[in-house]
Amino acid sequence: MKHLIGLVGTNSSQSTNRKLLQFIQNHFTEEATVELMEIKDFPVFNKPSDSTLPPVVQEAADRIEQADGVIISTPEYDHAIPASLINALNWLSYDVYPFVDKPVMITGASYGTLGSSRAQAQLRQILDSPELKARIMPSSEFLLSHSLQAFDEENRLKDASQIDKLTGLFADFLVFVDLVNQLVQAHDSNVKAAENFSWETI
Amino acid sequence: MKLVGIVGSNADISYNRHLLNFIKRHYSDLFELDVVEIKDIPMFNQDDDQTNSYPIQQLNQKILAADGVIIATPEHNHTIPASLKSVLEWLSFKIHPLEEKPVMIVGASYYDQGSSRAQLHLRQILDAPGVNAIVMPGNEFLLGKVKQAFDAQNNLKDQNTVDFLQTVLEKFISFVRLVNRLETPVEESLPEEDLHASQPIATTIEGVDMAADDWVEQAAEKVNAVEGDTYVKLNRGILTVDQINTFLSSMPMELTYADENNQFLYYNYTMEAEDMLADRVPGQVGNPLVLCHPESALKNVGWVIKQLRSGRQDVVRVHVPTHGPDKFVVHNYQAMHDAEGNYRGINEYILDFKPIVDWYLKQTGLKLDGDIDAASGASQKEEETVDAGSGASVKS
Repeated sequence: MKHLIGLVGTNSSQSTNRKLLQFIQNHFTEEATVELMEIKDFPVFNKPSDSTLPPVVQEAADRIEQADGVIISTPEYDHAIPASLINALNWLSYDVYPFVDKPVMITGASYGTLGSSRAQAQLRQILDSPELKARIMPSSEFLLSHSLQAFDEENRLKDASQIDKLTGLFADFLVFVDLVNQLVQAHDSNVKAAENFSWETI
Repeated sequence: MKLVGIVGSNADISYNRHLLNFIKRHYSDLFELDVVEIKDIPMFNQDDDQTNSYPIQQLNQKILAADGVIIATPEHNHTIPASLKSVLEWLSFKIHPLEEKPVMIVGASYYDQGSSRAQLHLRQILDAPGVNAIVMPGNEFLLGKVKQAFDAQNNLKDQNTVDFLQTVLEKFISFVRLVNRLETPVEESLPEEDLHASQPIATTIEGVDMAADDWVEQAAEKVNAVEGDTYVKLNRGILTVDQINTFLSSMPMELTYADENNQFLYYNYTMEAEDMLADRVPGQVGNPLVLCHPESALKNVGWVIKQLRSGRQDVVRVHVPTHGPDKFVVHNYQAMHDAEGNYRGINEYILDFKPIVDWYLKQTGLKLDGDIDAASGASQKEEETVDAGSGASVKS
């Protein structure tokens, strides 16, 4: 069975994105194991001159490295992903490259109507940068709008059509993971490009 | 023109910092640039509101006081650094200093792209409803290959780049002026106030030097002003001049009378200037208002009188915070009108509101909601309402 990381894209204790990932974790137990990852204990990234990573970052990098894929669920702050998520991605591409060629699916939840659409578009561009270079599942989008009203008391999504959509996307993502594992031709050069990327001078 | 330049990186060595410092030095004839750092600002977390912390408030005040802002951003992971994003989240959570503020984006990077993608993300972020800055369109300044861009004195080497930067900055200055004009409420042109009091009115006592220290004595002689135990008939009652004086002296506030010719005619003289909330001296009475205020304040004085004379506002209140936290001193400029409704000048009364509020709280047993300090109290609630559904304040 495939093992996935569910990355909670915020440091907030109150997060419907966390709820969404918990729902995915509980709903697809027969298809895959999903392990939630939190980012709130990541220190502020400041390009430390010695490249030793904080233990919390190193551990996260190892867990992503070992996983078959990552689901990132992001809120939207000011039309973009939260600073805390940018911060985590900065660390996770600083002398470690766990995201290079890693299959990634993006989901997002927001209190309003748009369901983090702009944040998700930016997150795709960010994950495409040479030092991250993830393999983002194309042509798929899961936007959970009005997320405060979206879950019932057992933290299950109320709307059956949303569950159907998520089920389809999740199944596709597992296929996508297999597909990406066949896209190995560019892997070496992608790793090299990520390693060559110099943080010291930007 | 005063601008704030935000170094969009918390790194010890930043070419974006070099770039802003170069702009500050090299274009000092165009504007005054205050280069500010963001490295002391904590990671945004809505669970731990640090809006009132010193580094955030300091940045807030600087931005509020500036005519415009230049943000210099590096590019990390094809976007702006987490540290810069964090600052913008704080500045769109409970406070919104960038609202309607003209902003220019510049960026430096080690590679050819010169932060092009980060700049586009930054534009989208600044456009979000919680931030609501007014970003100058076009005029991108992307400084690529920064390692080679500066000389040993951290000046930009390439003359073409220096010239181009100059044209972009000049355009930004025009942009700032344009935006600030857009934001200024349209003021129908009211006639300028004559603070020299040179248009005598029916009650003006002519033939006495308004600036004289003994204007009161000279003017009193000229018109045979009554005093002492002479009775004066009032609406409604009869008092002697002494009784009127006793009455006005007992008012728990500093009273000042200026007539519609902008001449200072009276204050309730009970103490010396150094003990007053707003210092007045006996020799000032009779002066035109132009002599009662420092040069720098005259524009505001004129504005206040225009509001009162035109009837746009019946009273203008100004909180003067220089008396420390134990007082809440307010200068109240109340328009005076005669029985026919004609403007007859200003009743300025100055008092400390704090004892009144304290007494009210003590009598009613009520408490002020939250930790309200004089600076931020009243606006807090309103901001929370404005905030709902916008930007960083939306809980994830």
